Amino acid sequence: MSAPPASRRALLRRGGIIAVVEPRKGAREDDVDIHVCLTAEGRVFAFSGHVDLGTGIRTALAQMVAEELDFPFAAVEMALGDTAETPDQGPTIASETIQVTSRAMRIAATQIRAALLARAASALQCDVAALTLAAGVLSSASGDAVDLSALLANERILLPLAPEAEFKPVERHSLIGTAVPRVDIPAKVEGGFVYVHDVRVPGMLHGRVVRPPYSGLDGGDFVGRSLISVDRLSVADVPGVRAVVVEGDFVGVVAEREEQAAEAALKLKAQWRDFRPPDLSDVAQAIRAHPATPRVLLEKGDVERALGRLETRLDRTYVWPYQMHGSIGPSCAVADFRADGLTVWTGSQNPHRLLKDLALLTGLAPERIEIIRHEAAGCYGRNGADDVAADAALLSKAVGAPVRVQLTREQEHLWEPKGAAQLMEIKGGLGVGATLKAYDFHTWYPSNDAPTLALLLTGRLPNTPSALKMGDRTALPAYDYENMRLTAYDMAPIVRASWMRGVSAMPNVFAHESYIDELAHEAGVDPVEFRLAHIDDERAADLVRATAERAGWTPRTAPRGEGEILRGRGFAQARYVHGNWPGVGAAWSAWVADVAVNRATGEVTVSRVVVGQDTGMMVNPAGVAHQIHGNVLQSTSRVLREEVTFSETTAVASRDWGGYPVLTFPELPAIDVLLVDRQSEPPLGAGESASVPSAAAIANAVFDATGVRFREMPLTPERVLAGLAGAPLAKPAKRETPKTRWRGLGAALAGAASFAAVSFAIAPAMAPIARPDPATWSAATIEHGRQLAALGACATCHTAKDGVAYAGGLALETPFGVVTTTNITPDVETGIGAWSYPAFARAMRDGLHRDGRHLYPAFPYPSFAKTSDADLQALYAFLMAQPAVRQRNVASRLTFPFNLRPLMAGWNLLFNRQRDIAPDPARSAEWNRGRYLVDGLGHCGACHTPRNLLGAERAGAYLAGGVAEGWEAPALTGASLGPIPWSEAEFYRYLKTGASQYHGAASGPMAPVVAELRALPDVDIRAMAAYLASFSPKPPDAEARAAEIEQRTSRAANPATSPIARLYEGGCAACHETGRAAPLFNAGPALGLSSKVSAATPANFVNLLIEGAQHGIGSMPSFAAALDDGQIVDLARYVRARFAPEQPPWRDIETAAANARRR
Amino acid sequence: MFLLVCSHTNEAGTRGLSRAPLICGGLAVREAKRWALRVNGADRAVQGEPHVPLLHFLRNDLALNSPKFGCGLGQCGACTVLIDGVAARACAVPVRLAEGRDIVTLEGLAAAGPDPLQVAFVRAQAAQCGYCIAGMIMTAKAFLAVRPDPSEAEVREALRYNLCRCGTHVEIVRAVLLAAEIARADAAAS
Repeated sequence: MSAPPASRRALLRRGGIIAVVEPRKGAREDDVDIHVCLTAEGRVFAFSGHVDLGTGIRTALAQMVAEELDFPFAAVEMALGDTAETPDQGPTIASETIQVTSRAMRIAATQIRAALLARAASALQCDVAALTLAAGVLSSASGDAVDLSALLANERILLPLAPEAEFKPVERHSLIGTAVPRVDIPAKVEGGFVYVHDVRVPGMLHGRVVRPPYSGLDGGDFVGRSLISVDRLSVADVPGVRAVVVEGDFVGVVAEREEQAAEAALKLKAQWRDFRPPDLSDVAQAIRAHPATPRVLLEKGDVERALGRLETRLDRTYVWPYQMHGSIGPSCAVADFRADGLTVWTGSQNPHRLLKDLALLTGLAPERIEIIRHEAAGCYGRNGADDVAADAALLSKAVGAPVRVQLTREQEHLWEPKGAAQLMEIKGGLGVGATLKAYDFHTWYPSNDAPTLALLLTGRLPNTPSALKMGDRTALPAYDYENMRLTAYDMAPIVRASWMRGVSAMPNVFAHESYIDELAHEAGVDPVEFRLAHIDDERAADLVRATAERAGWTPRTAPRGEGEILRGRGFAQARYVHGNWPGVGAAWSAWVADVAVNRATGEVTVSRVVVGQDTGMMVNPAGVAHQIHGNVLQSTSRVLREEVTFSETTAVASRDWGGYPVLTFPELPAIDVLLVDRQSEPPLGAGESASVPSAAAIANAVFDATGVRFREMPLTPERVLAGLAGAPLAKPAKRETPKTRWRGLGAALAGAASFAAVSFAIAPAMAPIARPDPATWSAATIEHGRQLAALGACATCHTAKDGVAYAGGLALETPFGVVTTTNITPDVETGIGAWSYPAFARAMRDGLHRDGRHLYPAFPYPSFAKTSDADLQALYAFLMAQPAVRQRNVASRLTFPFNLRPLMAGWNLLFNRQRDIAPDPARSAEWNRGRYLVDGLGHCGACHTPRNLLGAERAGAYLAGGVAEGWEAPALTGASLGPIPWSEAEFYRYLKTGASQYHGAASGPMAPVVAELRALPDVDIRAMAAYLASFSPKPPDAEARAAEIEQRTSRAANPATSPIARLYEGGCAACHETGRAAPLFNAGPALGLSSKVSAATPANFVNLLIEGAQHGIGSMPSFAAALDDGQIVDLARYVRARFAPEQPPWRDIETAAANARRR
Repeated sequence: MFLLVCSHTNEAGTRGLSRAPLICGGLAVREAKRWALRVNGADRAVQGEPHVPLLHFLRNDLALNSPKFGCGLGQCGACTVLIDGVAARACAVPVRLAEGRDIVTLEGLAAAGPDPLQVAFVRAQAAQCGYCIAGMIMTAKAFLAVRPDPSEAEVREALRYNLCRCGTHVEIVRAVLLAAEIARADAAAS
């Protein structure tokens, strides 16, 4: 499947073939394209410039060739899309592969068949009529087989493609019209299929691109001209980076491994100029305001005059949103730029056009470029496949090695050419006697063919986009309006847009078929009957009748909704017309849709769709039915929920499946497909037709249910709810840029004034020593010290991010300034190698450096002071046994007056007083042990006890919740805000594994602490749990409470009736929804029980979203690139309200998000 | 065009990973660790940093193509594999969490002849582009292990968070129900 079955060039060089050929476009005069070739061995090769987009044309085309040639299906091997192999037959669009493109191949097959028979007749000196050819076997009248290899031996018969041919009559078809299983499916199901994403070339490197901030815009003077600078040092710490490539606004990175390229692309800092995105808060308004050129497609009668003489005048406006292909796999390509040319492996929909783009991009002559086409994730028009191929070519050219580029989900969502928004206006109405008197139809389609991005970003193409005359598809209504004018407004895109399934026809038909329904209602006639009365196309009328009958349509003239769930049924039909106006008709399609509308929530459910389709001759009826299913489901998704969203700062804002949710399995309507038998008619395109009537059928059904007309898509619950209330849907509120606020600093400084008055005592230095020999201590002592170092989580603070353990360098942000941790490896000069044990013990207990300087209590010596001498000695032994690392300390930068270290002496007098912990005889030994561990080296209170203005643990608020490095350290006592109090068992589980089913998982600074605790003996963990639990009230029946919370916060109890609820459902629920029959290995904690959600501030929740979790027992991907700040704020608000309803709403989420982004 | 080649490309040149810790500016030290994985019944070793998603190692180091990159956020399910028999989104599972566990990809499902799910997906012709299919099959595999006789509604619910964009849902649901039937028949026969 990965390589073409045989090369065109090899076939043309060998003997023993008969082929139908045509001069090759743009090539040497003697070079030809092959359509079909038969070899002496009985193999059949067929070549198409079109590609299989997952629709099964590889199978269907082979069926057609085998049928006309009278060879077995299995003998036919297809080559699709490779530029060096196949004829340039234009892009695979408009469902025209079977209807239009296959014709050459089919003619070629008949030509070869005829030539073969003629040749055999001449060899056997008999009449052609005396010969038979069946299943690839030629037989004479006597029944003897004629040897094909003898017939074709050493011959190279090249027949020019005939303009016409007579095809086999339908009654003799044995392959056409049968459900031949698709040839590609076994490999796809077994895992052997090679998609473009799976192409690996020797020496291949990995690339990622960094796209500009003007997401999804390809027109405007800033396009290609916005990059100010790229800071290559920002990726200096990423291993394996081979190059940072910059040209104009094109930025990419190349690394040895994929994860390295991905990391570098995320980290690479680039400065961009500001730009002004178009205002898309009101799509219809944006389209109206955009320059357009009217093009009158048709004028019949006198529309103006007729409009003035109507009995019932209806002027209507219909609005279609921007939508996206949303290919399940973001686009990917591999390029190999060598001295002798360029090879690109791509999933492109139009390899031949891509070749020309690449020639322009690289300056190579087209004949030095070869494009090898592989299947990719399904696209339904032009997605990012060509863009990424050009990206790969640029990166490969820069590094002189093959480069694979994989777009991210966010890049595909933001930058794929969108299915354009569209505006349709109809002026018209009924004449006397409910006649179709006037129809003045206007359609605005802001789209073109989306030039390949790299050409724009590098300035190869101008940033002034052109218009494309493609808004006229199915602009002609199916009904015989007496006076009619159709006007298409050609316009350049507002947002990068190109063709997408049902190109402009789906919106146009939404207008036509909604409007005819309105007229029927005005006329008081059943909508099916009304349509039939005015259709002048007999095949369309037949289909309307057959589909209505199949669905059991009953006449209806008025909506009839009652109760909370309103049920309705709607009809629509159309023929998809493609190509230049007036275009070519593809299959006819008709829909009967059944809907249920929830009056309380606004949710629309499509419960059943009956689709009738007249496809003419069906090559593979199962394939046609498959395409109809796909069209019904995808278009239902588009109609019910799909809408690209925009932000005021980045243009396109939908970046992931939360921001652009699509239909899921539980929402599938029942689908009943009616295939009209017209096998003797020519075949028609089947890939898009069944999408086209969807929107009107569903909107008409919603009208039938509710009596309310919806003329703007999609039918989201909020739009429907607003419509039912008779109000327009509120446009999204404008977002303010979050402002950073400085709070509390004044108070802290005021407190410092009194603090300055305290003693200025300076402690003496202690003499340096030679580094002690680790052999001084027993292995057991060092091991004990290792456990204590883990308990104290020394490495957590004394290790820089990605740094050497214990060598210091981590900058801790405190309210008093930045404290940078120091090197505590036994390096004599930069570490503590010259520290004697007494110096070490003094530091641990009194907070004094060996040289007498005061240490800041970010180093929690008030806790460490409570540690026994024996334990401190063991800890000292362990540290001295570590490898010495020479790494200079970085000075801390504290704000005045905290930068005056001597002041700490006064601080110590005030706050470092309680030294020894006397065992409490009333408590168990375990409790007392736990207390020693928690309050001593464990220093839990350092983070979990709130601090006063001078940074000391506040009295009377023991473990009542504090902060650490921008994270909230939740209360561990009765002050815990979680819905279930901590128990001994849960503390144990949490400390042991890093997660508790009733509280969530450790993250932020707690994650490394839990990781360190693994070194501790189990009895110590149990002791800590026993001690900590003594501060919490006895938990109620936690299991029952948890079940109750999970039920209350479940999806079922919280229908997704707002964009942000859908963002949660599409973006988070896959991992966080509880109660799944088969939970995921990487299922996240139940949010209703998570301490991050019940916390007093949004800090932990927001930090986790931005940073992800890469420590501890779990993991969570970072959503920094998938969500913008506005989405983070909305999501935090939503999660808080849904999962912690008893807590007050969070405040200042904007600041938390800004802080998290800065970290 | 300008090209910036990073100063710290490892000395071994272009191939493979630098085993030695990489020190830039005296600060950053990162080491690729060796991870022992058990994949489709075989012991495999890969090398990389602990946070790197399992998906990258399966695809790029072990050449297992069936788990697909779809979103990197655990949202779409295209990368689903089994870890200890449970469905896992390999794009969101760091390699450190997969070490020592039993990992099965679509390629490993047919160890003893094609899995009933594979038979059923072919029979139901349950693929268009097919990019999501490995994830569908692996999710269904884990689901059928706990619900061998599911209703159609249960199948749909089990696949709620696996996205298909071509609209192959009808055929996929049919295939999963058919697979359950085949598996039950096989079990009854043996």
